Formats: sequence, C-alpha cells, structure tokens
Amino acid sequence: MILLQSPSRFLLQILKERVLSGDKGVDIDCQTVEFDDVRYHIQFSMRNPKAMVLSVALPLAPPEAILYDGLPLGAIDAIKAAYGPVVQILDPPKDGFDLTMKINLTKLPPDEEQRNALLTQIASVREVVLGAPLKLLLKHLATKTVAPNVDKLVALVHRPNESFFLALQPDKVTVVYPMRFQDSIDIVLATSFLQEFVEARRTAALSNAPSCMWSPVPPLELKGMDADALNANAGFVTFVVSPRHVEGRKLDKTVWSLLTFHAYVSYHVKCSEGFMHTRMRRRVETLIQALDRAKSDAEKLKKLVHGASFRRMSLNEGN
Amino acid sequence: MDAASRPAVVIDNGTGYTKMGFAGNVEPCFITPTVVAVNDSFSNQARATTKGNWMAQHNAGVMADLDFFIGDEALARSRSSSTYSLSYPIRGGQVENWDTMEKFWQQCIFNYLRCDPEDHYFLLTESPLTPPETREYTGEIMFETFNVPGLYIAVQPVLALAAGYTTTKCEMTGVVVDVGDGATHIVPVADGYVIGSSIRSIPLTGKDVTQFIQQLMKERGEHIPPEESFDVARRAKEMYCYTCSDIVKEFNKHDREPSKYIKHLTGTKPKTGAPYTCDIGYERFLGPEIFFHPEIYNNDFTTPLQDVIDKCIQSSPIDTRRALYKNIVLSGGSTMFKDFHRRLQRDLKKIVDARVRTSNARLGGDTKAQPVEVNVVSHPIQRYAVWFGGSVLASTAEFYEACHTKAEYEEYGASICRSNPVFKGMY
Ligand SMILES: Nc1ncnc2c1ncn2[C@@H]1O[C@H](COP(=O)(O)OP(=O)(O)O)[C@@H](O)[C@H]1O
Ligand SMILES: [Mg+2]
Repeated sequence: MILLQSPSRFLLQILKERVLSGDKGVDIDCQTVEFDDVRYHIQFSMRNPKAMVLSVALPLAPPEAILYDGLPLGAIDAIKAAYGPVVQILDPPKDGFDLTMKINLTKLPPDEEQRNALLTQIASVREVVLGAPLKLLLKHLATKTVAPNVDKLVALVHRPNESFFLALQPDKVTVVYPMRFQDSIDIVLATSFLQEFVEARRTAALSNAPSCMWSPVPPLELKGMDADALNANAGFVTFVVSPRHVEGRKLDKTVWSLLTFHAYVSYHVKCSEGFMHTRMRRRVETLIQALDRAKSDAEKLKKLVHGASFRRMSLNEGN
Repeated sequence: MDAASRPAVVIDNGTGYTKMGFAGNVEPCFITPTVVAVNDSFSNQARATTKGNWMAQHNAGVMADLDFFIGDEALARSRSSSTYSLSYPIRGGQVENWDTMEKFWQQCIFNYLRCDPEDHYFLLTESPLTPPETREYTGEIMFETFNVPGLYIAVQPVLALAAGYTTTKCEMTGVVVDVGDGATHIVPVADGYVIGSSIRSIPLTGKDVTQFIQQLMKERGEHIPPEESFDVARRAKEMYCYTCSDIVKEFNKHDREPSKYIKHLTGTKPKTGAPYTCDIGYERFLGPEIFFHPEIYNNDFTTPLQDVIDKCIQSSPIDTRRALYKNIVLSGGSTMFKDFHRRLQRDLKKIVDARVRTSNARLGGDTKAQPVEVNVVSHPIQRYAVWFGGSVLASTAEFYEACHTKAEYEEYGASICRSNPVFKGMY
C-alpha cells in the first residue's frame, strides 16, 4: 500500500457481512478509532434487523476552523447527496459523537454492483463528511469562481486540534499544511522526506501535478493567522491547485489526497524507519557472522563454557 | 487527548491466524492469515546487481519494501501471480522472520486497523515458550519503528484464562489447552502465573488435522485438483468435522445412513474454471480423532491429548492439582469441533477415576480419597479466547499502569520488555 484507501476496511467488512447474512445475524456493538481520532461506533440489533446505526466522531476542531452545527461546512448536504434515502441523520447525535446515521438496509439497491458501490460509499463516510468543505470549495475552482459568503482564507480541521488552510482565488486554490510530529526522529525524517517530495515534483513525469513547495516558516498566504495555528515543527507544505486538477472525476481523488496528506507523510516516515531497521538488523547479523568466522575453534569452545554468551550466540544463530 | 484515554490496540499473532482489534470490543475487527507476500523480482534484483551499482540495488530494496501484501490478500496475490512468494513470519508459535513480521505489523496497523500507532497503547501476545530475547526484539520494533506510547506483551494462555472472566467468575488458576494452527500447548496457570516447568507441547495441531483429512480424501480417490486439496480439506474441516464418542459406532452409523452423514463441498478448478464436487464422509469424525488416538495419524507420537493433560497436572505443585482439574479451559480454533470438550472431559475423567480407584484399593477400605472434579470449560468465544482475554484486560485501568512506556524504554532500553508483570484484574 502506498496510498490510503478512502473506505474504512472495517466498516465495509461489517456492512457487507451484515447484508449477505440476511436475517440470521447476531447483534453487533463495536467501536473503532482511525488515524486522526476519527471514531466509529456501529450498532446492530436483531430486534431491528432492518437498520444499522453508525455514529462518527470527528477530530477535535481548533478555534480557527469553523463548524456548522458541529459539522464541517456542507457536510449535511454531502451526506444527503451521497446516500439519498438509505441514510437518515439522527438529531441529536449519540453522546460523544458528532454524527449519527441510521442506515436502512431494506432501501439498499437490489442490484449487487450498485449495492456494493453504495456500501463502499457508506464506509467512506470520513471522506464524505470531512471532505465536504474541500469538495465544495474546489468545485467552485473548477468553474473559476470563489464560493460566496466564505473568507478568502479558510481553515479546515484535519487532525485533532490542527487545521490546514485554503487561500481561495478564482483561478487557483493554495493549500497549506503546517506539519507537526511528536517524535524527534520523526521530525527529522519527515523534514527530509518533504524536501525530497518537493524535489520529486520537479521531475518531468510529474509536470502536470499541482506545484508544491516546502518552507521552514509560514508562507505569505497565512499572514494574519493566529500564532497557535502556525507552530509547526517540520515546516510548511504548500500545494497550488488549479482548475484542471479538479475537473470532472479528478475532484474526488484530489479531495481525498489533500485530506489525508498528513497521514500519507506519517505513514511513509514509519515505512522508512522500518526499512532502516531491517537494514540494521541484517548488518548486525553479517557482522556477527564475520566475527564468528574469525574466531578459532578453541575460542568457540571457551565461549561455550560461559553460559551467558553462549545463550546470546545461539539466539543469533537461531534467527 | 492522551493515548491512555483511547482504546488500546490488541493483536494476537498466531502461527496461522492473526486476530486484531480494539480493547473493549467483544470481537476482533479482523482475523487474517499470518502471512506476507513479498515481491521476489525486486529482492532478486537487489541481490543480482553488482556492488558498483549500489543505487540500483538500493532502489530495488526500497521497492521490495513497499510492494507486499498480507493475509488473505497475500494468498490471493501469490495464487494469481508468480512474482510474489509467501513468507510465514511465525512458525510453531515463535517469530522466525523479523523483517516480514515488521511488515506484517505495519500493514495491520496502517492498512487494516488504520490507526496511528502513536495514539494507542498496544497489547501483543506471545506463546508460553517464547524466550525473553524475543520480547526485546518485539519491544524494539514497537517502540522504535512505530513509536507506540506503551506496550504490554501477554502470555497467550493467561489471556485465554482471563477470557473466562466475564462468562463465569474470574478464576486465574487452571489449565489452558490451546490448539491453534501450528502449535499446541498445555499450560497450567496458578494465580495468573504460568507454571513454566509443567508446560507440555504436542506435535498435533490444526494443520495436522487438515493434512490428515487431505490424505484421507486423496486415498479415497476424491477428484480434487492437487493445488486446491489442502484448502478444500481445511474448509471441510472447519465446516463439517465433529468429535464422536466412539469410532466403531460412528463408522456403523455412517454405513447405515450414508445420505444423512455424507456432506459435499464444491469448488472451481483454478486453471480451467470447471466446477467440481467432492464428498466428505468418515473424515468428518476421523479428523478430530487424532487428538484422542494419535496413532491413526502418525507413529512417532502416540500419546493422546487427555494423557498429556493428566501428566501436565500431575507434574504441577500438589496443592494446585485439584484446582487445575476443575478448570480446564479450551482455546484456539482447533478446539471448535462439536462436542470436543465433552469427549475430552469424559476421557480425562476416566484416567483420573482409575487413579482414585487404585489408590483407594491400596489404602484398603478404611480411608477413601476424595473424588476429583474434572471440568473442561467451553465457551462461544473459544476460537479467539486469547484475543478476547486481551481485550478485557486492556480495557481496565490497571493495564495502562502495567504497560512499559516509551519513556521507560528510552531510559532503560529494550531489556525492560523481558518481564511483563501480572496485574490486578488478572486474578
Ligand atoms: N470452526 C472450526 N472448526 C475447526 N477448526 C477450525 C475452526 N475454525 C478455525 N479452525 C482451525 O483453527 C486453526 C486456527 O486456530 P488459531 O487459534 O487461530 O491458531 P493460531 O493462534 O495458532 O494461529 C486453523 O487450523 C483453522 O483451520
Ligand atoms: Mg493462538
């Protein structure tokens, strides 16, 4: 896997199993947490086998990101548009969650392919809700306009207490991410990963991708933002999105990629750490083998008598 | 929000199947085979290129590191394309390949559970025979690669005992009979501590049952494509096998009413796509029978399961024995056969009763030994009892206290992972 998929694997599995198993199912009451503190609670009771209740909690929004009735801009409309009559929004949501939806299983399309597409769409509720404002604003970009009644600089929540920023213009939208990591090694790796990332964008093969910049200080677009919103420890990444990146079917993909950019970097940082450890383990093994070869048999015998080092040696041989 | 206020991640890596999910839930989110498909073309390339071309070698290595799959996806990939080869990181309960193990965990965390490992405490499991050094390796990967804030490595049978917890009253003394896919352990536990010297392992596992069924079906001349036969045998086992009370009687029953007992399985041939059907007859009860009469499967190991359990308890401290006989807990997928616990209880009771009778005879008629209560406990979540026990324990406040934290790891090093204290809530 190089890119995160939009549907939650877990939700999709439950939805599909539920629909397939028909009436002879069992009760389900399960909670999970995804990256960036998106939580799901899925409930299903045999007392009402026609409906499933799915609650979603979003990352805690920082002060600069504005919510509408507790949800991002345009989320309610996006839910209605995506799910139609299959989903009913319950108001108020369940305690501790931001959105509760009742999924009416009897209203799913009878055709298998359509049904699966809709179930996948339900499992992608994260994209539908958190991506709603992005989609709305980028749709305007496709027609080279700016959404009315919106500030020129918009903050959107994407991680707990963290937002990213959109500077809106009719012919381009500039997206800025303050990058923050907890671990000191992660900060170093992420910083160099991002510089490489910007470098890679310059190669000919990627000349159609949105242009991309990295800087250690906040870019000009963010002038006037609260200092708290701008303390990043791995610099700032800027993408310039133009109308051609959001036309037609490209829109959904662009929205999801922008929404999960931080998770993408974070995942690759972990991959590189794993990669380095693999190399380090292999190196240690070859060094130990070399040392073993260098030892004379007599020495080996002597070693065998000392319990502790013998144990360590045999362990390394065992691997 | 701090990590201790989020549910802990619980992963039980079995030889055959990995069970993973979040603490507090009744079921794991995913159960998937513990297998990784790696792209050979890249790794071979990395080896073939000469020293001078280190850049190409490096890049091939990087690609090999990104191009892999785990679980059912891995099996599907390797079936459809020859560029992927399968690696089973765990064998007989022990991690054998740390590189693929790390890859496996990486996918479990990022692609299956989709969580950020920095946000959650982790509970992992290990077999009762795992050396402490392995725990250090595990700790190193978890703390260094994944930056987990806290880690606890629990012994599988102890968790299986803890699983009994919500169903009956909590009893942390008992014998766990864990029959998985690649390892079978009989582990006595007293007050939450494993009695290490009395652990028994036997070379009969779920995989052996499958192989035995595969062999029986082949000998009977069922027409199954050879590359499918193991999988067909496994499906037959999981769907139709049961434990009988007497083989001879069971043969007669089948012969009298074949239509009632013979089951069918269908599949499609991978090459031609043509459908095929096979019958499953005597295999249905002969498969699980290998635990009670191992000689029908293999001449090298002939001690029945009930004998091994009895010897295990007899070798435990004398003051624990009665409590151990009273609480024999089943765990693992291969104890799921219908009536398995009844048969085991009956056969074990026979041995124990015979011993009481001889000792009474020796003592003469005056003093009589107290009868020994034998109880084999079975519950519906047996298949993933280890995971469930982990889920229950990791949702207690004491769990977070018992975990090794990242700060401790950085201060004292990986050796802290060697010991994981039994904590309150376990007994
Ligand atoms: N319903 C069932 N009946 C019999 N065997 C089963 C059943 N379900 C799973 N198994 C077998 O159990 C084994 C897996 O058990 P598990 O405890 O998950 O193993 P491990 O922990 O060693 O990976 C496999 O051999 C599988 O075929
Ligand atoms: Mg197991």
